[in-house]
Amino acid sequence: MALVQNFPFLSIILTLSGGVICSVLKGHGARKYSTFVLCTVLIGSLLTLAHVLSTGEAYVYMMGHFPAPWGNEIRVGILETMMAALFSGIMLLSLMGGMHHIFEDTEDTKSNLYFTLVMLLSASLLALVYTNDLFTGYVFVEINTIASCALVMIRYRSGKALVATVRYLFMSLLGSGLFLIGITILYDITGHLLMENIAESVAVLFKTGTYAFPLSVVIVLFSMGLAIKSACFPFHTWLPGAHGNATVSSSSILSGLVLKGYIFLLIKIFYRVIGMEIIFQQRATNVLFIFGVLAMIVGSIKAIQEKDLKRMLAYSSVAQIGYIFLGIGLGTEAGIAAACLHIIVHAITKPMLFTACGGFMDVSGGSKKFSELQGAGLRDKLSGFAFIVGAMSMIGIPFFAGFISKVYLTTSAIETLSLKTVIALAALAISTLLNACYYIPAMLVLFTHPKKEPVSVHPRPKAMSLSLWMFIGLNFLMGCFSQPIVNAVIQGIAMFR
Amino acid sequence: MKYLMLIAIAFPVVWGACLPFLRFEETDRSSRNKYALTGALITSALVFVNVFNFKSNDGFQLIQLTNKMSIVFDIDALSCVFLCMIAVLWPLAVLYAWEYMHHEGRENKFFSFYLMTYGIVIGLACSANLVTFYLLYECLTFATIPLVMHAMDRRAIKAGRKYFMYSIAGAATAFVGIMFLVEYGTSLDFVYGGTLDLVKIGSQQNLILLGYILTFFGFGVKAAVFPFHGWLPSAGVAPTPVTALLHAVAVVKAGVFAIMRVTYYSFGAAFLAGTWAQSIVLGFACFTIVFGSVCAWKQQHLKKRFAYSTISNLSYILLGVGMMCPEGLAAGLAHMLIHGIMKICLFFCVGVVMEKTHREYVPEIEGMGKVMPVTFGCFTIGALSLSGIPLFAGFISKAALGTASVSSGLPLGLVGLCALLISAVLTAAYTFEIVIKAFFPSKGFNTRTLCEFKDPTWQMKTPLIVLSVLMILIGLHGTELMNLLSKIAMNLL
Amino acid sequence: MLGYFLGLVLFPMLSGVLCLVPAFKDDRKRNLFVAAVLGLNFVFVLLSFMQEGAFELLHLTDHLALRFMFDGAGRFFLLLSGLMFLMVGIYSFEYMSHEHNRPRFYLFYLLTLGALNGVCLSGNYMTLYCFFELMSLLSMPLVLHSQTNESIAAAKKYLLYSVFGASLGLGGFFLFTVYGGSTAFVAGGVVADALHHPLQLSSDLLFQRNMLLIGAFLAIVGFGAKAGMMPLHAWLPTAHPVAPACASAVLSGVITKAGVLAILRVVYFLYGSNFLVDTWVQYAWVTLILLTVLVGSTLAYKEKILKKRLAYSSVSQVSYVLFGLAGLNAWSLTGALLHAAAHSMIKDVLFMSAGSIIMHGHTERADRIDGMGRKMPMTFACITVASLGLIGIPPLFGYISKWYLCTGALMTYRNFFSWLGPVVLLISALLTAGYLFTLTINGYLKNETAESDAHEAGALMLLPMVILCALIVICGLAPKLVMQLIEFINTIA
Repeated sequence: MALVQNFPFLSIILTLSGGVICSVLKGHGARKYSTFVLCTVLIGSLLTLAHVLSTGEAYVYMMGHFPAPWGNEIRVGILETMMAALFSGIMLLSLMGGMHHIFEDTEDTKSNLYFTLVMLLSASLLALVYTNDLFTGYVFVEINTIASCALVMIRYRSGKALVATVRYLFMSLLGSGLFLIGITILYDITGHLLMENIAESVAVLFKTGTYAFPLSVVIVLFSMGLAIKSACFPFHTWLPGAHGNATVSSSSILSGLVLKGYIFLLIKIFYRVIGMEIIFQQRATNVLFIFGVLAMIVGSIKAIQEKDLKRMLAYSSVAQIGYIFLGIGLGTEAGIAAACLHIIVHAITKPMLFTACGGFMDVSGGSKKFSELQGAGLRDKLSGFAFIVGAMSMIGIPFFAGFISKVYLTTSAIETLSLKTVIALAALAISTLLNACYYIPAMLVLFTHPKKEPVSVHPRPKAMSLSLWMFIGLNFLMGCFSQPIVNAVIQGIAMFR
Repeated sequence: MKYLMLIAIAFPVVWGACLPFLRFEETDRSSRNKYALTGALITSALVFVNVFNFKSNDGFQLIQLTNKMSIVFDIDALSCVFLCMIAVLWPLAVLYAWEYMHHEGRENKFFSFYLMTYGIVIGLACSANLVTFYLLYECLTFATIPLVMHAMDRRAIKAGRKYFMYSIAGAATAFVGIMFLVEYGTSLDFVYGGTLDLVKIGSQQNLILLGYILTFFGFGVKAAVFPFHGWLPSAGVAPTPVTALLHAVAVVKAGVFAIMRVTYYSFGAAFLAGTWAQSIVLGFACFTIVFGSVCAWKQQHLKKRFAYSTISNLSYILLGVGMMCPEGLAAGLAHMLIHGIMKICLFFCVGVVMEKTHREYVPEIEGMGKVMPVTFGCFTIGALSLSGIPLFAGFISKAALGTASVSSGLPLGLVGLCALLISAVLTAAYTFEIVIKAFFPSKGFNTRTLCEFKDPTWQMKTPLIVLSVLMILIGLHGTELMNLLSKIAMNLL
Repeated sequence: MLGYFLGLVLFPMLSGVLCLVPAFKDDRKRNLFVAAVLGLNFVFVLLSFMQEGAFELLHLTDHLALRFMFDGAGRFFLLLSGLMFLMVGIYSFEYMSHEHNRPRFYLFYLLTLGALNGVCLSGNYMTLYCFFELMSLLSMPLVLHSQTNESIAAAKKYLLYSVFGASLGLGGFFLFTVYGGSTAFVAGGVVADALHHPLQLSSDLLFQRNMLLIGAFLAIVGFGAKAGMMPLHAWLPTAHPVAPACASAVLSGVITKAGVLAILRVVYFLYGSNFLVDTWVQYAWVTLILLTVLVGSTLAYKEKILKKRLAYSSVSQVSYVLFGLAGLNAWSLTGALLHAAAHSMIKDVLFMSAGSIIMHGHTERADRIDGMGRKMPMTFACITVASLGLIGIPPLFGYISKWYLCTGALMTYRNFFSWLGPVVLLISALLTAGYLFTLTINGYLKNETAESDAHEAGALMLLPMVILCALIVICGLAPKLVMQLIEFINTIA
């Protein structure tokens, strides 16, 4: 076994321990340490990715060398390492982008706890990505929930944040609960918790036809549970409040990463626990498809009505999650590939938008309302430029990342012709227009000269500038040179079984 | 040589983008105007150099986005037609804008976007495949929104919003159609005769036709096809140089050009001829021709009247294009060029009236022919040309369109001929109404009320006179032009 | 030949423009100049009788050329228009002295003459259409000369009907270009003999024949608008009364004949009488004509305003001419052309007399001229002579033409049209007597109203009227003079 193959396991341990260590460090020490950990994880994931690409096959890693069914396993393939690299990288950039806000928004004595939460969140995301065991998955789902709720709540001066957190917690726990019941039933039927073993049993059961109804119930429970947690329509109502009222880097992390972790777990369960053939037969994907389409449209409509920039971006996230569920709901491998592409694209775009929003707030006396933000793009030019890049990407203009995922979603819809194709194409077209309808007025407001000068202007810290430039670079990279990434995704999905 | 093409595209964009940074004073009109005009003239010169050398041009790939999509620029004969039109008209428009924008203000921003739009339109003409074209099409929308909203009052903002909503909706629909080509075409390049993979399509012809219709209506938004024409009259609130150049020449002709490319160079006329898709195209074109003229006839606001007239005339071009044969394409190209010249002249005249006298409605221009003879003289020539009177340019394209419609043998071709003839009468009605009102005021009208108005200065007069002379010259001798366009339409160039 | 073209078309037009120069502000100088121009024009016309052949002036495009030719038909109408314009011109010197803006009147008078000569000299369909449109446009300002609201509205109506009619003619042009071949005028027509007999044709050729027939009908109805034929006649009763009397004379007497010439050219020199004889086109045409004749005469009978009565009379009488054209044989055609000449002279005399009554009798209405005959003997004598001619009393000019028309009708038409035509003509003759003799009777035999201060017109106004009356008598007594001019009929029917 190559040395680098150990790394995924190490990354989970590193981040978990990082969480503990950060809780005893002082604020800035915690910051430095967590940045260091994230960088390490990023580099390690990239190295592992290179390794897996060169060998061309996934491998399973037994922790502690105890075989199943007593030990725990993680499975490492192209897609998993890509996601791991993506998550850690974006986490790092989001932290850098919102760093000064973190220290403003939290109590001085408690700011190190923010980094604890970030570390715990990283750990759970990495675990969700790599895990090969259902129950481990559940454990880390719960850790994820608690950490992300706390991330919202940690903004102590905002009463709204508290209300939003409670709502988020309720919905999340509901989702987790459904997920747990599903696991329980499945364990009861099959007697296993490791994904491959479960898959074998499920295949046998399906062939013989026993336990058909419980199986369907399990699929429904898994889908609903994870859908609630990833804010799929109609379970999205908690999102605008949570993302809109949290501090800047929290919004970025939550929008860009947390939701995606759950979706990735869902994809994994579909592929490796139940098996895609059964999923198609059960027509579960159709329901997700409909929800995806509705999310795309309703999310954008609500965004148009918003007067608060952060809430508008949050609703935009709802719509973008809809794109991903549309891709999954198409029920083809191409569709899932397109959905994964969109996960990547959204992950590099939405945090950039939130960070830019933070920059605007800095130069407009801390307000998020459009009426106060007029001309902010001119005052903070880098944030303005980043916002334009992000908006173009969300609308789907060539050269920007969003165009690539839109193209793949469309072509995957056209590949197998059915009623779904028509609905998907119509939804994509309408959604593009709706996206333009709120991004373009936002840009117009941001770039027209204000009637009066704003109250206070903070200088932009270097970390934030660096993070914005890197986001912009990533966006153009994805927009212009996406072919290698696309190939990797497709290869990764093929490897996923 | 290929770099020269890129320079022609990039230069005006950069020149225009630099304008705000050069910190011209708002009142320092002279140097800013000269800067803008120099930029436009240099760009036109570059364009003409490219056009004359277009055969030796091999094309330039800027970047490969994915396996099937890349950004490539190349000039072919069709591009040359479009390029020549805008290269001649843009400097004239900049010259006209010198004096016009005097009263509108915020000229730095205006000229900056005006020049950048020039570069984008050149890039559009030079696009060698659908992805490049789509990218620049979207950029065109974004670059022209600030121009439409220039006045920044409620009307202008509303008009700008309507404009971008229509445009983006259109582009999104066209995008869906383009994806059909990705799936069922051999490539996205523009090749005369189309790039459809007939083997792969098999018996799913209707699906591809549906894709074509989506693309037609998607790009048709910019070409103001009924029922997606609503943005054009509202955009009349923009300053006249914008309405004249962009909404009579550049933006709308980009829409028509898009449909030409998609029909003849992507899907292929042979595939589309004789299908229900062609019937839909022709049907909507015929309807829009008459609809636009009727609305123009009833409209009393000067600019809105000619906006509706543009809507009608764009469908003349689409009628020609919809014939799916080389004669039709040649006729469409002829009208694209000639209408550009006519309409820009008419809008300029209207702009002079609106800017000098602040009167916007037809009944208010009574008797002005006496005090502004040059303006209304050029207007009369434009009116004669637009109505299709022989010896003026408009007749050349109208004759080509009529002949192509009849010789196609299609029943909808004859319907198209009827539409053209009805529209000609209505055009005569709504243009000559203005001519008569201006030169023959009713008895008892006291022309002394108009004595403070007079013809504009040379900056606004020169474009008017140049365009009028062009209309007469082409009207008297259009042989070479029509021969050239016929050859281009048959891909012999 | 080019020289004659320049002399007949460009010379009057340039002279018209010269009327506006400051040197001609003085009435006397200008009148002398105009008289000289009209006289020279008449001389040119006479000299051109020695010219024969055709030439091409200008190629608008490869398929559209301006072609002129000198032949019998053209010469006939040139002579007619030259003579009438000269006579009415002399009359106008005194009449226009009580109208304003005289230089502008003569500008458009001479421009119209130039365009009219161009119509007469046209050698192909395109040239005919071109000069037809120009003539319509240039004669419109004559209608609105007095610039009252009424006259401006009437001028717009005139313009619209003319343009619409010309558009229909253009539609016919497109159909002929595609399905017929070359549009140069050749005596006897250019349609292939194979297409003449419908029963033996394949479906392709049948389609071609039907398209040609439709084109013929469009052209006839379209150009017939200018000749006051239903259904496009409504402009005539509106436009002729509001124009100054000399303009009405020219409009009624000469410009309507331009419509006749256009139809003559299209029917006999393009399609050929053999192609159209016994087709639905001929029968539909004759139906429209007979309706026009009846309706025109009836409305004239009921009309009280003098000029309007004469206008309705023109509607009716010009359709006599068209009736002859529709007969498609030599007798009818002879009658048609004779009546064209007769009607020109007669109607001009009538309108000039009406103008004299308006100017010197101070009334416009036919029921207020009681007893005026004693105060204005010459005027009313002319009216009487003209009336007798129009009704068709031998030995005045109008009689011969009616005789030929009826004979031709009886000889040609297959079914009931052969007797229906003459019956309608007879009824119309009775009505004509009704509305014309009342003028004479009221003028001479009734007692005059109390405060009439009528007095005789001046020499300049009377001279042309007397000359034309003399011509009416001479041509009636010796019709061979006129018949010599129309020998060309043998080549075309």
